[in-house]
Amino acid sequence: MIEVVKPGLETCIQDFPGRIGHWNRGFPPSGPMDSWSFRLANLLVGNPAGAAGLECQILGPTLRFQRAAVVAVCGADMQPTLDGAPLPAWESVAVAQGSVLALGAAKLGARAYVAVAGGVDTPPWLGSRSTFHKAGVGGMDGHALRAGQVVPVARAAGTPGRRVDPAHRPPIAADRVWTIEAVRGPNDDWVDEAGHARFLATDWKLSSKSDRTGYRLEGPQWTFTEKATDKPPEHGSAPSNILDQGYPLGGVNLAGQTPIILVNDGPSMGGFINPYTVPTSAFWKLGQAKPGHVFRFRAVGVEEAQALRREIDAHCSEASLVAAGAR
Amino acid sequence: MIYDEPRILPAGDCHLLMEFGNEMNLELNFRAQGLATALETSGTKGVVETAPCFASLLVHYDPDAISYTDLGRELRAIGESLGPPEELELDSRLFVLPTCYLDPWTREAIEDYGRKIAPKEWDPAFVARINGLDSAEQLVRVHAGTEYWVAALGFWPGLPFMMALDPRCLLTAPKYDPPRLWTPQGTVGMGGSSTAIYPVATPGGYQIFARTPVPIWDTEKRFDVFGDDICLFRAGDRVRFVPVGADEFTEIEARVAERRYVFNVVDYQRFSVRNYKRWLATLDRAARF
Repeated sequence: MIEVVKPGLETCIQDFPGRIGHWNRGFPPSGPMDSWSFRLANLLVGNPAGAAGLECQILGPTLRFQRAAVVAVCGADMQPTLDGAPLPAWESVAVAQGSVLALGAAKLGARAYVAVAGGVDTPPWLGSRSTFHKAGVGGMDGHALRAGQVVPVARAAGTPGRRVDPAHRPPIAADRVWTIEAVRGPNDDWVDEAGHARFLATDWKLSSKSDRTGYRLEGPQWTFTEKATDKPPEHGSAPSNILDQGYPLGGVNLAGQTPIILVNDGPSMGGFINPYTVPTSAFWKLGQAKPGHVFRFRAVGVEEAQALRREIDAHCSEASLVAAGAR
Repeated sequence: MIYDEPRILPAGDCHLLMEFGNEMNLELNFRAQGLATALETSGTKGVVETAPCFASLLVHYDPDAISYTDLGRELRAIGESLGPPEELELDSRLFVLPTCYLDPWTREAIEDYGRKIAPKEWDPAFVARINGLDSAEQLVRVHAGTEYWVAALGFWPGLPFMMALDPRCLLTAPKYDPPRLWTPQGTVGMGGSSTAIYPVATPGGYQIFARTPVPIWDTEKRFDVFGDDICLFRAGDRVRFVPVGADEFTEIEARVAERRYVFNVVDYQRFSVRNYKRWLATLDRAARF
């Protein structure tokens, strides 16, 4: 059991891959934004890679362990401390009953993950413990953690003293510019060639109005093909309007002139085009980017995107772990 | 337009979109739902889930189990094996929803919008006028005169996008611009040619003119009709709105709060596209109720 002393900024319970199989009724998968760091944190403590843990955003929580536990913190650098002393990240550590884990503001990256041996043991909703704040589903009472709550954890021995080999960690860089892969489609034929060239050449700024439903990007205007203007009236009047359609996770959704990348808690359908889709292999970067950072898009094909996904999956394995003392 | 061949479009590393046409046409939705069902029973490897919409089907797949190209080929083959849409028969439950039209709650939401955002004609009067109806009262007769087909759910979890099955009840309406900041839970409204019910109080863009006290969203697991689910509907369900007065609305609302409301659901029917089209052919489409 973990007592929430300070909740941090929207710290929430997530599992991986989240609430899958309910997209046809409008439930998004939720789950950790950076599932690479999340899975490694779980593996470190001896959990299955997808077990429920905590996602900490921008400002981390302070947690008191009501019984001894094995924990690991991965992802953004939130300067974690255990009873006031620095706690190494990317390592599984045994903590004594009553000890306090405190995460601060994210210095590098935006989201840190706390895994606890046994996994968070809240009741699953539609097959997942992931929190979907917007609809009050999953997690603790459907929402982010609040001070005073006690988060249940299943009992497990855990595996302290392990560390993620740096070569297998997501390369969260100090610069503010991210290269994000993007696959053309499904609605790429609504945008003209100048529009495609502009999308790939622009330094897009990540808006502060971004959250787990969508990442808004600030940049130039879009230009369209005839298809965007010469269409049946049920598509709507703006060039980027289309007859309502299912949205893929990662769709670069063009709401009027503003591209919004649809992320883990995003809408399942709607009436705007998705000229590009950000593949799952780039989601860890979205999870670690902060408002004001710059996105540069790199066009990749479906197969390249799938190969990148397999590379990340390979990093999320026992083979990436070494003894904590090892270099 | 209905495409001769469905278009298969890439959507990242684990989704594809299959488009059957580019117009609001029930037949395209029947195809999308028919294919979704056939795909589920076929046990095609690597298919994680599907989401039908008005004229398209989104498919979520596991690229470690099937390639984009192979999945596209499988989808085309299954689509062809279904034959023409007339052959489709889809499981379809019918939900009867008592509904208070021209109700005080949506009127308050419209008036609040008028005060805080932009002046606006009362939605029922506006929708009646632009559809050539005599009055808001006729709008109620026309809107409640048909069964609705749940074409898709989404935008908000459990929110049904429905199309009128009776062409004599077809209505169209533009969306609010800018959108409303709030809409009462259970509000019935329409935008484009689709009707929706708001599962919970949310912002919204549809023209609104009625409210049902029957919950279509239940996180507290109060009613057995939801099964293990949180939302009431699935694609392929039908809905009929039965007009009730504000007093009856309030009485039903109380029964819901006390968990003794009995849902009115018919759950033994299949929807035959052939029979539906046969019926359509007998109608005078220009007539209005």
